[in-house]
Amino acid sequence: MRDGIEVAKQGLPALALVTDAFWPQGDFVAESFGMPDLPRLQLPHPIAGTGQARMQAVAEDLVDDMIKAFSV
Amino acid sequence: MTDKLFAENEAEALEQLHAQGLTDGLPVVIPTDERVARMVLATGQAAELTLGEMGPAGGSATIEKIAVAAVMAGCLPDHMPVVVAAIEAVLNPAFDLTEMQATTHCTAPLILVNGPARLACGGIASGFGALGPGFRANASIGRALRLAMLNIGGARPGISDMALLGHPGKFSYCLAEDEASSPFEPLHVSRGYNVEDSVVTVVGAEAPHSVMYSGDADAGDDHERLLNVLAIGLANLATNNAALTGGAAVVVLNPEHANILAGAGLARVDICAALYDRCIHTTEALAAVNPGFAGRLKPGAVRHCFKDPSQILVLVAGGSGLYSMVMPSWCAGGHRNEAVSQAIVLDLFCEIPTRAAANEAV
Repeated sequence: MRDGIEVAKQGLPALALVTDAFWPQGDFVAESFGMPDLPRLQLPHPIAGTGQARMQAVAEDLVDDMIKAFSV
Repeated sequence: MTDKLFAENEAEALEQLHAQGLTDGLPVVIPTDERVARMVLATGQAAELTLGEMGPAGGSATIEKIAVAAVMAGCLPDHMPVVVAAIEAVLNPAFDLTEMQATTHCTAPLILVNGPARLACGGIASGFGALGPGFRANASIGRALRLAMLNIGGARPGISDMALLGHPGKFSYCLAEDEASSPFEPLHVSRGYNVEDSVVTVVGAEAPHSVMYSGDADAGDDHERLLNVLAIGLANLATNNAALTGGAAVVVLNPEHANILAGAGLARVDICAALYDRCIHTTEALAAVNPGFAGRLKPGAVRHCFKDPSQILVLVAGGSGLYSMVMPSWCAGGHRNEAVSQAIVLDLFCEIPTRAAANEAV
């Protein structure tokens, strides 16, 4: 979420990818840094350490939503 | 001005503070107007003066809000110079407090106190059991910082403080160096201060890990073996220091162990260099436990756990005996778990008589 906020502060399109376990923290950070509406997409938790095949599958599930988010 | 709550009596006020998540789970002293004003007065500074914004919530760390935390923690006015300096230290951008509060690692700010403030600010313990219960200054000063991090910084477990389990030092984690028993110059002198200065050094640290070593004055390699076990504890393969590297970490030598090293002719700088040399791992050893953190290393390469010897903070505290302590660390954030020192200003502070003393004066 912080990365997304930093990118958005530079005036660039930003989309934060946040896992479901960290979704409340994402809300908190977005609110605290004054960007409560920063676009974000939810990923299943965990991602790290789940293997290439699993990460590939998650990416494929999300890619259309990511493109859609950047196309608004 | 700090928002105010209202209650019929102190018992109800305590339940209200617990219910609103404004405590650390233990009972607190109710921060009434009078108590807070008294604590602000002790600082000699304006209530509305802000020391900075505290993340992740970005709350303004005013003297008044810090005084609220100090009252709740059970501080005496004498403790305030150390509390204020500790807050200034964690607000230093190099400390990366926002990131540290949010990490899944168990890190907590360890407050190390050097110089005359050890005695002048309520008697901060450095001997037997100093990190355990029974020492008001240590317990209250460390707790005041934590309550500020909770209520000004907004660190809420599972919401904004994502530590997976945390550690008991997240209630309070404050220690003075036992300068009188140390064969070395005080820690703050090694960090560029004068011996008569009072200084807090804060560093994000895991809970203390015990390192056992039985000295043998007849053995020529006595100090070498002690250094070896300290290095194992400080950066073993299970630590972030081994996997991520580059973060400051702490070694608390008990006076007996400190004397073994000093007796071998080692100064603090030599000890840090010797530990730096010993805190290394091969690519193969790292890959065997955490391959994801070893992937970019060449086969056969050796990686140091610290950027340089100065990242290892060595101080003397605790009772003499078999055990010293090491505190490995998180090693992440923009500044990679940097230790930050901050001078404690003693001459701004006002001596506040206790209520009993005031009554006697009347």
